[in-house]
Amino acid sequence: MPQALENPTAADPKLDRGILRAVKIQKSYKMGDQIQPVLKEVNLVVQAGEFVAIEGRSGSGKSTLLHILGALDTPNNGSIEYQGEDIARLSGAARSRLRNTQFGFVFQFYHLLPEMNVTENTLLGPMIEHSWFAFRSRKAELRERAIGVLKELGMDHRLRHRPSQLSGGERQRVAIARALMNSPKVLLADEPTGNLDAETGSQIMTVLEKLHREQGQTIVMVTHDRALARQADRVLVIKDGRLDRAGAQT
Amino acid sequence: MYKTVLILKYLLKRRIAWVSLAAVVLCTTMVLVVISVMGGWLTMFKQSFHGLTGDIIVKNYSLTGFPYYQEMIDRIEKVDGVAAAVPEVETFGLFNIGSVPTAEVDVIGVPIDKIGQVNAFPSSLHRQYQLPEEMLKDPTLPADLRKQMEEQMKGPPSFALLDRCSVALASLPGDVRLANLPKAVAKRFWFDAAAGKLVFKGVMSSDEQTLLRGLSQDSAFKSDIDRLYNISNGGQVVDYQAEFPRSKQDVTKWPGLIAGLGVLYIHRDRNGEWISPLGSRMPVPGDPGLYGTPATLTVLGFHPGQSSIDPNNKSERNYWIVDDSRTQIWQYDNHYVYVPFEQLQSDLGMAAQPATLDTGEKITLPARTTEIHIRMKPEFSSDEALAAVKPKIEKIVNEVMREKEGDDVADSSRPDVETWLESQAMWINAIENEKLLTVLLFAIISVVAIFLIFCVFYMIVVEKTKDIGTIKSVGATSAGVAGIFLGYGLVLGVTGALLAMLASYGIVHNINELHALMGKWLGVQIWNPEVYLFDKIPNTMSTQDLIVIPSIAVLASVLGALLPAIRAARMNPVEALRWE
Repeated sequence: MPQALENPTAADPKLDRGILRAVKIQKSYKMGDQIQPVLKEVNLVVQAGEFVAIEGRSGSGKSTLLHILGALDTPNNGSIEYQGEDIARLSGAARSRLRNTQFGFVFQFYHLLPEMNVTENTLLGPMIEHSWFAFRSRKAELRERAIGVLKELGMDHRLRHRPSQLSGGERQRVAIARALMNSPKVLLADEPTGNLDAETGSQIMTVLEKLHREQGQTIVMVTHDRALARQADRVLVIKDGRLDRAGAQT
Repeated sequence: MYKTVLILKYLLKRRIAWVSLAAVVLCTTMVLVVISVMGGWLTMFKQSFHGLTGDIIVKNYSLTGFPYYQEMIDRIEKVDGVAAAVPEVETFGLFNIGSVPTAEVDVIGVPIDKIGQVNAFPSSLHRQYQLPEEMLKDPTLPADLRKQMEEQMKGPPSFALLDRCSVALASLPGDVRLANLPKAVAKRFWFDAAAGKLVFKGVMSSDEQTLLRGLSQDSAFKSDIDRLYNISNGGQVVDYQAEFPRSKQDVTKWPGLIAGLGVLYIHRDRNGEWISPLGSRMPVPGDPGLYGTPATLTVLGFHPGQSSIDPNNKSERNYWIVDDSRTQIWQYDNHYVYVPFEQLQSDLGMAAQPATLDTGEKITLPARTTEIHIRMKPEFSSDEALAAVKPKIEKIVNEVMREKEGDDVADSSRPDVETWLESQAMWINAIENEKLLTVLLFAIISVVAIFLIFCVFYMIVVEKTKDIGTIKSVGATSAGVAGIFLGYGLVLGVTGALLAMLASYGIVHNINELHALMGKWLGVQIWNPEVYLFDKIPNTMSTQDLIVIPSIAVLASVLGALLPAIRAARMNPVEALRWE
C-alpha cells in the first residue's frame, strides 16, 4: 500500500508528494464577533490509489477539510496541491474545471437535482464539461457510459426515475455514479452512509471498497463512524483542528 | 449544455415562473395593443385628413373667402412640383330631407370633375367607387355590368343621377317571365339574384315602365318597378314633387348632392348593424333607393363684394341625393354635404357679377372662393419639399392680391397658405401627445412585470440554493450559474414576447369585432366615434412596434432576472450545500 504522511513539512523531501497534498491548512469561521478556528494546522498527503478515511466527531472540521481538498472551499492559510499544483491559487473557473474533471463528490444528503431523472443526474458532469454542440455530438457515447456506470452500481433499472422516486440507498448510488461519470482522479465522500440505515450503508461502503480495490480509485472519505473508517487503507482522526494518525488498515 | 437542460426543466416544472410569463405576456400585449391602436389612430387621422385636403391649402378664414383665385391657380400650377390646384367653397347650411327634421351641415362646393386631382375625395363616394369596387369582387357579375363598373371607376366622379338603378326585392314573384321582354328592354333589365335586386340600366321610359309592370300580377313587384322608374333619370317622381310644393322647377334639372353618411342619419349600432332612426322610410346604405331621394339645402349669401351676410340673399335649393361620402372620419361623415362648386358659389353670391360703383362706373365683381387645394407631384410631397414650396405659393398669392387690389389690401382679406400638416396641427399634435402619454403610462405599469420576475426569480434562487451548491460542486462556474438564471429570464421573455405578439395580433386585428361583442354582452362602448372621429377602431400594427416592444419585453425579463442571477453566481458552494 502507498506510504502515508501526515506531516509533510517534517518529512524527508525525497518522499512522494502524493496526488493530493495539504500543507499547514488553517480555516476558521466568523461566528458573530468571535472567530471560531476549525482547522488549526492540517497536513495531509494522499497517494494515488489510496483509500483514506478521516474520522471525527460532528463539528470537528472533517467536512471542511474535505471541501478544501476538493477545491470547493479555500483555506485561510496553507496550500493545497493537486498533482503538484497549488489549487488555492487557481482562478474560480480553473477550480470549477478541476472539480468537474478531476474530483468527484459524494455527499451525505446525495444532492441530486430533483428536476432531472437518474440518467440526467448522472450526466450532469459531462453536461457541464461540454458545450451544447459538443454534448449533442457525443450524446450517444456519454449516455452509454452513464448507463454503464449505473449498471455497475445496480441502478440501470431506474434510468428514467426521478430522485423522489428512489430510496436513500438508490439515491446515493446515483450520486456515486454522477461522481464517477467523468472518471475523477480523486473521489471525495462526505459521510456517504450518514443518512442511510446500517444495511444500505454497508452496501454503499461495499461499492466504494470495490471501486478502490478493482479500479484503484483514490478515495478520501470523512465519517464519524469508526467502524466504517476502518474499512479504509488508512484512518486519520481530526481532533481540535488537527489531524492525527489513527493507524493504517490493511 | 447543462444551462439549456436546466432552463427547460425549470421552465416546465417550476410553475411559479408561469406567473412571470403571464405578466410578460399581459404587459407586452397591453402595450402593443395600446401603441397599435393609438398609432393606427394617428396614422388614420393623418391619412384621412390628408386625403381630404391638398398638400398645401390657400384659405381665408372668413366665410366670404377671397377673390382672384383663378389667377392664383393659373400661376400656382406653373410652380415646379405642383401637380394641380383646385378651388373649394365652404360654408354652413341647413339640410332637409322630406319631412325629416332640419340639420345644420357644413357645405362644400367642389368642382367634382377636378377634385380627384388634389385629394382622395372620390374614393369616399359609395355609389360611384366603393360599391363598384365591391361588386367587381363578385365573380358572377354579368360581363356587361362588369365592364360598366370598370368604366365608372376609371372616370371622374359626377353629380349626375344614376344611369343604372336597382331596388331591393324580397323575392321574385313566380309568375315573372323575363323571356317575354323585347330584347332591347331585356338587355337593360335584369334580376340580380345574388344581391336580391331588380336592376335597370339607363333611363326608363313610361312605355318600358308599363311593359315591366305587366311582367307580373304581384303588387309588390309593380311597386318596385314604379320605384325603379322614379329614381331613374327619366322618372317624373310625382310623389317627391308633392313633397316639395315650393319648387316650381323641373325636378329632373335639380342638381346633385353628395351627403356624408351620418348626415343621412344612418349609422351602425353597437352590434354593427346599420340603423336609421328615421324608420323604414329611410333606405340604408347599399340600397340604391337612397340615391334619387330629394333634399333641400338652405345657405345664406353675402352682399356682393362685401364680407357681411345678406339676409335677403337666402338660397333654398332642391337637390337630388346622388351619392353618399364615407370618409370614415366621423366629423366629415356626420357634418358635411358636397354640392357643385359653381352652384354653391352662385347661391352664396360669390360668383362673378356686375356691379355699379358710386361713381356710376359699371364693373364686374370677381368670383370668390374660400380655399384653393394644391396637390404636389409625389417627388415633391415630403414635409421638407412642402416647406420649400410654401413660400413660393405665398409669394404668388401676395403678388396677385397686390396686383389686383393695390398695396393697401387688408390683411383680413389676404388668404393664408398652410401645408396640410399645419392645417391640422391642432388635432395632430393633440393626438401625438395623447399617444405618447398613454404609451408612457402603460409602459410604467408594465415595469411591474420586471419586479414580478425579480420576485419570482429571487424565490426560485432561494429555493434552489442547494441545487446551485450541487452544480457548483460538479464543476459549474459562477458565470455558468448566472447564465442559467439569465437564460431562464431570456427564455421567459422570448416566450412571453412571442405569445404577446400573437395575442396582440389577434386582439388588434379583431378589435372592432371584440368591441362590438363587448357592447352586446356588457353594454360597454369604449370607442365613441364622436370623440375619436373614426367610426372604426384602427386595427393595424406597425412592424416597428412589433419588433421594438417585444424586444424591450425580452430585455426587461433579463433585467428582472439579473439580480437573482448575480446572487446565485456569488453563492458559496459550501454554504449553498449546507443551506436549510
